[in-house]
Amino acid sequence: MHVRKRHVMLALLIAVPAVLGLWVPIYNRDAPRFYGIPFFYWFQTFWLVASAGFYMAFARMKEGRN
Amino acid sequence: MIGLDVTAVFVSLFALFIGLGFYGKYWRRGDLSHVHEWSLAGRKLGTWLVFFLIGADLYTAYSFVAIPSGVFAKGSLYFFAIPYVMLTFGVAMVTMPRLWSLAREKGYITASDFVKDRFGSTALSIMIAVTGIVAELPYIALQIVGMQAVLTVMLAGIANSQLVEEAALLISFVILAAFTYTSGLRGATLTAVFKDVIIWATVVVVMVAVPIGMGGFAHVFAPMTPSYVKLPQNMEPAYVTLILGSALALYLYPHAINGVLSSESAEKLRKSTALLPLYGVGLAVLALMGIMAYSSPATMKFLSGFPESSRGILVVPSLILHTLPGWFSGIALLGIFVGGLVPAAIMAMAQANLLTRNIIKEFRPGMSGITETRITKISSTAFKFIALGFVFAVPATYAISLQLLGGILIAQVLPAVLLGLYVRSLKRMPLIIGLLAGIGSGIYMVEAANNFGQLTVSLFGTFFGPVYIAVISLAINLSVALVGSLLLRKGTHKMTG
Repeated sequence: MHVRKRHVMLALLIAVPAVLGLWVPIYNRDAPRFYGIPFFYWFQTFWLVASAGFYMAFARMKEGRN
Repeated sequence: MIGLDVTAVFVSLFALFIGLGFYGKYWRRGDLSHVHEWSLAGRKLGTWLVFFLIGADLYTAYSFVAIPSGVFAKGSLYFFAIPYVMLTFGVAMVTMPRLWSLAREKGYITASDFVKDRFGSTALSIMIAVTGIVAELPYIALQIVGMQAVLTVMLAGIANSQLVEEAALLISFVILAAFTYTSGLRGATLTAVFKDVIIWATVVVVMVAVPIGMGGFAHVFAPMTPSYVKLPQNMEPAYVTLILGSALALYLYPHAINGVLSSESAEKLRKSTALLPLYGVGLAVLALMGIMAYSSPATMKFLSGFPESSRGILVVPSLILHTLPGWFSGIALLGIFVGGLVPAAIMAMAQANLLTRNIIKEFRPGMSGITETRITKISSTAFKFIALGFVFAVPATYAISLQLLGGILIAQVLPAVLLGLYVRSLKRMPLIIGLLAGIGSGIYMVEAANNFGQLTVSLFGTFFGPVYIAVISLAINLSVALVGSLLLRKGTHKMTG
């Protein structure tokens, strides 16, 4: 059970950024803007930073067990 | 014409760059007559050095010039580069540490080494080496196109600018070839750190100073047509497949794998890969420069002096020159310029490894380690000058066309290299046929999409809308490889596969 939970977590840490990046209609919009930058641009740029957090968590979890 | 301050800063930083390149030989000393010492820096690079090395390797002068150029000309579609880099590091997080571990254990230097060992097929490994070398060549050529853009902007208005530009490129390449020959990947790593520091300083300054000078982003976006504000709905299939295809392909390029294998451990490789999307923020800022340029009258006036087809690649260097103080634009322009040199060195090195280990060595198996290293060093020098000669001989648009094709070709090695890491039942014959089917269909679709003329588009019209060709031909390739392997397993229980 524990092992399975860990695997699901690991998979999610990679899959969440991937699904968000590929699901274009959810971010293909102009509003809300951030300092005048359309949503389309700032959302994708913001997710670069967020994905680094997800991937770092993945790296840490891997480090724990192998 | 540009001021003396720009030139002075540019030239003195370039001198520092050269110094670092040669100093690499003494840094973390190793016996450079061994291939893994020369081309993988002894597999001893830690988290931050791999971050800088792969960062310099993947975020190149070409991406800094071509992505903004695409945004400038076509708008939001070219922003696909941002989610693409986010996804590609996810792919790398999962696959590359495994490749690293196998390579460490069995002494692989290239992806073809792995393929040969895994599938016992020299034919397949040679095909993958050739695909890598061919796909890499226009990539190097495009680094030179990026560097040319910097020089064109700096030299605009002086007499014989064309001649000065070619001389400057030639000299830079001779210096680059000299220090890669003596220092190997160590020289490239040190100069990569130097380049990254400059690029980051540039990105921060551009992000803060340029929009303020233009009265904020609301002003920047106000005059733009809708396709610059968000993606036209009919382009969504193109956007999503460009992200997917490019994300799957990036880590198949020989230079990316070369960077990966130089890591000290799988843990450190994971951590540096996890941080690499942050580097993409810089690319996003530069991509937005393709839109900001429209709000800078000085930049637009300067660009109007060039033919429309070559304006795009000049956007970033000219916007830097026309909106930032002279001394700082010297720093920023140098960052982009050496941003072409560092990856060119690593790409040529990766090509040379493939040529020597996976092609020449197959025909001369008795080659000693020292001879192997010497041939690798010499051919890495040759590849750099072949790319340079190519850029001098043909217009830049040819290099761009070939790069487009290169991306589609390199994606076709995915079944053998990445799936080969996990799927036990893959067989060599279906992989070979799949690879050929992928390459054949890719080339055909590119030609058809461009009406068998100059290659400018990599999208193919389908029922769903325009789709990136690499994804379609990879799907064909994968189906052949998987279905074929399944049939062989069922059909030949007792025969050796």
